[in-house]
Amino acid sequence: MPFLSWCHWLQNTPFATGIRQSDLLFPLIEGSHIMALALSVGLILVFDLRLLRLAFAAEPVSRIMEQFVPLSLPGFAAMFITGLLLFIAQAEKVYQNTFFRFKLALLVLAGLNALFYQVKFYPKMAEWDKSGVVPRGARISGALSLIIWACVIALGRTMAYEL
Amino acid sequence: MSLQQIWEWSYSSKTVDILRNAKYAIPLIQSFHLFGLTLVLGTTVIFNLRLLGLGVRKISVPVISSQLWRLAVGGLLVSITTGILVFIPDPARYAANTAFRTKLVILLAAILFHFTVFRKVVRAETPPAPRRAVMIAAVSLTLWFCVGWAGRAIAFLG
Repeated sequence: MPFLSWCHWLQNTPFATGIRQSDLLFPLIEGSHIMALALSVGLILVFDLRLLRLAFAAEPVSRIMEQFVPLSLPGFAAMFITGLLLFIAQAEKVYQNTFFRFKLALLVLAGLNALFYQVKFYPKMAEWDKSGVVPRGARISGALSLIIWACVIALGRTMAYEL
Repeated sequence: MSLQQIWEWSYSSKTVDILRNAKYAIPLIQSFHLFGLTLVLGTTVIFNLRLLGLGVRKISVPVISSQLWRLAVGGLLVSITTGILVFIPDPARYAANTAFRTKLVILLAAILFHFTVFRKVVRAETPPAPRRAVMIAAVSLTLWFCVGWAGRAIAFLG
């Protein structure tokens, strides 16, 4: 398979070997990947909980979105960069790891779910937000987000166990 | 119960044997350990960004704490419970691990700080003076992130 041989080449570049064999760098990147959970998922879940009326029910959804969601973007950027470095360092094994593949699929699903919210519910948010009732679809989107991120964390933990 | 007794019980108990030998028991428990971490660290970051005036400025500190404090407590309880479940099957290994011992000490300090000084500040109607806010945020973030780092280091110190 050409992608697998590309992974083989990738993890044997001096850059990848340097990360993998470093006693300090590898744990540091892996630790950062985990701590960035607080700055990414930790912030987005507040918005999901608001959609479900489980937190900040007295505040408009628009305010919670504007106050919390942009804050999560640097966290997700840190997640992506550290995740990419971890992949590069062990590309061959990671690519063949079933849990990693499921994790990637769920990340795509998380993206599609966010996109669905943006396209379907964000444009009319001013209207339904005033009424105080979150549309059913938006609530489902919030619940899905919580479930997907929980699964992503569990798959991330389990894939590392198999490496 | 001494460490020795925990050790003896752990290696003779059939229940603990299931935890130890089921292939995915430990990563599953550790996944929940990370859910707890996400809640504790996540809410701690939110509280501190707000105290420092770096984010969530349109919502007051007491309103944030009325909504998110229970998430932090819930997350902490999940992490402690799952932490014990990870410790029990292999007490000898963890007790000898420097990172684990360090983590316990910092965790104790973090919990103490969180439920005294920090709790009082995030519940107060009047915000702290800027200098005091910076000091509180520095202590809070340092303690909790060091708990996380020390936890991560356990695996790399054997």
